[in-house]
Amino acid sequence: MRKVKRRTFVAGAVGVAAAGGSGVLSGCGPGTAEAGAAPESLTQPPAELGPLKSGVNYPPGYIGPKARRQQTIVTEPVTFTVVVPQSLTVGDWATNEFTRWMEQQTGIRIQWRQVAGKGNDPETMTKVNAMMAAGDIPDAFLGITFTRSQLYLYGAQNLFVDLNPYLERYAPNLQEAMKDYPEAPKLIKSPDDGVYSFPDFNDCYHCRASGGRALINTDWVRKVGLAVPTTTEEFREVLTAFKKADLGGRGRTIPFGGYKDAPLDTFFMNSFLYNPSYSLNGGDRPWLVVTDGKVEANFVKDEWREGLKYLHGLYADGLLAKDIFTATEDQIKRYGDNPDGPVMGGARVYYWGTFMTLDLDDPKARWRQYETMTPLKGPNGVQIAPWNYLSVGVEVSTLVVTRKCKRPDLLVRWADFQMDLEAILRSYAGPDFRWSAKGDKGINGKQSVFGMESWNTDETKGKTWDQYAVMYRSGDFRLAERVNPKKPTFESPLYEETRDHLFPYKQPMERQFPPVTLEADQAALDAEIGLNLKSEVTTSMARFVTGRLDPNDDAQWNDFTDRVQSIGLTPYLEIQQAAYETYQG
Amino acid sequence: MAMATATPAPVQETRSDRIVMICNYTALGLFTLAVLYPLIYVLSASLSDPKNVVSGKVWLWPVGWSIESFKAVFDYDSIVSGFSNSVLYAVGGSVLATVLTLFAAYPLSRKGLPGKGLIMALFVFTMMFSGGLIPSYLVADQLGILNTRWAIILPAALAVWNMIITRTFFQSTIPEELVEAAKVDGCTDFGFFWRIVLPLSKPIIAVNLLFYAVAQWNSWFSALIYLTNEHLFPLQLVLRQILLQNQFDPSQVRDTAELIRMKELQEQLKYSLIVIATIPPLLVYPFVQKHFVKGAMVGSLKG
Repeated sequence: MRKVKRRTFVAGAVGVAAAGGSGVLSGCGPGTAEAGAAPESLTQPPAELGPLKSGVNYPPGYIGPKARRQQTIVTEPVTFTVVVPQSLTVGDWATNEFTRWMEQQTGIRIQWRQVAGKGNDPETMTKVNAMMAAGDIPDAFLGITFTRSQLYLYGAQNLFVDLNPYLERYAPNLQEAMKDYPEAPKLIKSPDDGVYSFPDFNDCYHCRASGGRALINTDWVRKVGLAVPTTTEEFREVLTAFKKADLGGRGRTIPFGGYKDAPLDTFFMNSFLYNPSYSLNGGDRPWLVVTDGKVEANFVKDEWREGLKYLHGLYADGLLAKDIFTATEDQIKRYGDNPDGPVMGGARVYYWGTFMTLDLDDPKARWRQYETMTPLKGPNGVQIAPWNYLSVGVEVSTLVVTRKCKRPDLLVRWADFQMDLEAILRSYAGPDFRWSAKGDKGINGKQSVFGMESWNTDETKGKTWDQYAVMYRSGDFRLAERVNPKKPTFESPLYEETRDHLFPYKQPMERQFPPVTLEADQAALDAEIGLNLKSEVTTSMARFVTGRLDPNDDAQWNDFTDRVQSIGLTPYLEIQQAAYETYQG
Repeated sequence: MAMATATPAPVQETRSDRIVMICNYTALGLFTLAVLYPLIYVLSASLSDPKNVVSGKVWLWPVGWSIESFKAVFDYDSIVSGFSNSVLYAVGGSVLATVLTLFAAYPLSRKGLPGKGLIMALFVFTMMFSGGLIPSYLVADQLGILNTRWAIILPAALAVWNMIITRTFFQSTIPEELVEAAKVDGCTDFGFFWRIVLPLSKPIIAVNLLFYAVAQWNSWFSALIYLTNEHLFPLQLVLRQILLQNQFDPSQVRDTAELIRMKELQEQLKYSLIVIATIPPLLVYPFVQKHFVKGAMVGSLKG
């Protein structure tokens, strides 16, 4: 990322030199831009919510998108150029069925430009940065994931439009959504108070707890005559019993497994201290917590060391899979799918499908033996399920309007239009969704709002926008999907186990380090130190657990803390502290 | 023993000779297996039921014969158009590039060309230093070839490395004396190039065509950078798309159903696509292979 960014800066300068007076925009401050919003874009009458459509059954207390009668936005066709990622599911954006529906409903036509990639991979960003540097800019980007810091960088350069005044007047659906999600205004704002993208809501209930999820085979627990463990000590006993009974047969039993993309610490460390969920590949800043307004790193604390000792002990007794840090998803799936009966007692995975093929027809299918454990209570009584309040739910960078766009108001209304319930269902499930009848049950057991006949690619291909649209998928919306009583999926158990086994143990929201926005120079430093820290802490953790280092040895532990200090833990925490204070306002 | 007697002047094979032979054949055999196995595996996997591939039942021959995956491939417009685009880029690009390479290499191989050293130095300069991504993008933009097929073909229309090999080939196979003799007989430079040089250069032409075609066939980055119209994307970019779409951040799996759906799609398409993407180079290779060693070696060794 840094490399690209540096290129962009150099290229920005080259862009000026090469483009000369030809009016090509090069992102070097205000005044160079040829375009900008036309004055009439802020004097249009504000948009208002339409009347509710009838025939939709909402459950009592439902919070989320509603189906309304919406007006066309323009009577004379207007065309915008929008850059989107290529997608096999969407197919040709120009002839896509949802595209046609949107054109027909809103009157706004889009000239699509496809960029190869998924919208959030480094190569897509290389291409997008080249476009920006060369001044080859569309009216808007849809589904191209700029980071918060990038949005701020380009926004402060006046390359991206600050949508604040437009959102107030022309985005009634979004305003409703923000009332439902009070943290949203803070999350979409840059340090200069600019809002440089139209946000998107995807409140995935089970994702909020994904880091703290570990499954255990309840059949096996019953077979060894014990109860599902709730403390670290009970957990050790259960695994020891699994190993002793060798329920997998022929010594193949893996008491507890895992794979390299699911960090162990987000589950186990929460018996010793609050340790948030993070993703290894994403831009998260793992192991950071806020204690009384102060940003701290977990991995140098004594509680962390206690956790390492516990894991070290489990591994030494052969209770954790040998390849728990290195197995790929394919490998763990092979254990999970073992043809002659289960061999795994438990696993740190995100859901059943990570480690086995899901048979949804058989009520006795193997995956149903595995259940989400409550967090384990540690020796000092700590028992936390890390809850992701802030980085799941509200997403930025869904639609980014650039300075090339003459009428940001129309694009904002166009985006807001997509947040209507019917538009969401069409863009996400295709035209074949159905409103649920009264009495149909949803994932959460309440009245369902809608159902989808098929997720089958062949049937939705060319009909949906493959989740690239601007959507308002609230928690209630997601859980109001109809469950076919004849063929229940894993969605309901996933929801129920999250609700019963994890949600009650969540930490208070103030303790979570929020997704912050950094200034350009800090962003570079943050990325560099962050990467080194991630690699050092992850490697050392694996070594401490597998016995190549001993957490009981003071010298080795001190070596580790010295290493993280020399990487730059102190400046790193200072950057985060400042960013945190900016976020809090 | 039978093998030894078949040779015209039978020399008694010593024990150590035979051991060497056995070792040779074993090593070569293992090597062949190592190269062949992935090819066979991919072919078998593409012809098997995707479920059996995921569960690891396929290891050599197809399990649960199925050509569904090939049918599915052709359901995707972008794959079909990607394939034809790739063919176009490979054929068009390699022909144009080979012509340009020959035109550049021949004059530079002759002694009498004024400023030869400077021209050569300029060519070599570009091997070591390049303008970089954004300047290239700006040039493409100013030339008006952005988002057209030319953006794929033109920037790759001459590889200096190939040009140098070709030049060396000319230097070593077309002696100055031949030019002089032709001139004495009243042949022009163009006539000489057309009637004498080209017929003598089949190996190097074949090598160039193959190099350029394979480079175009495998390339995706320039298409990623220069193209924003799906209908112009080459096959490799579509292949990459299929692999990418399946990469989810596991902790952020918002839509588990979606994940499963993409997994199935990928498993279904992955192997058949590899087969389809590999067939054209495999088909072309045997025809150029005999020229290959000759052309490249002559061009590179005698500098």
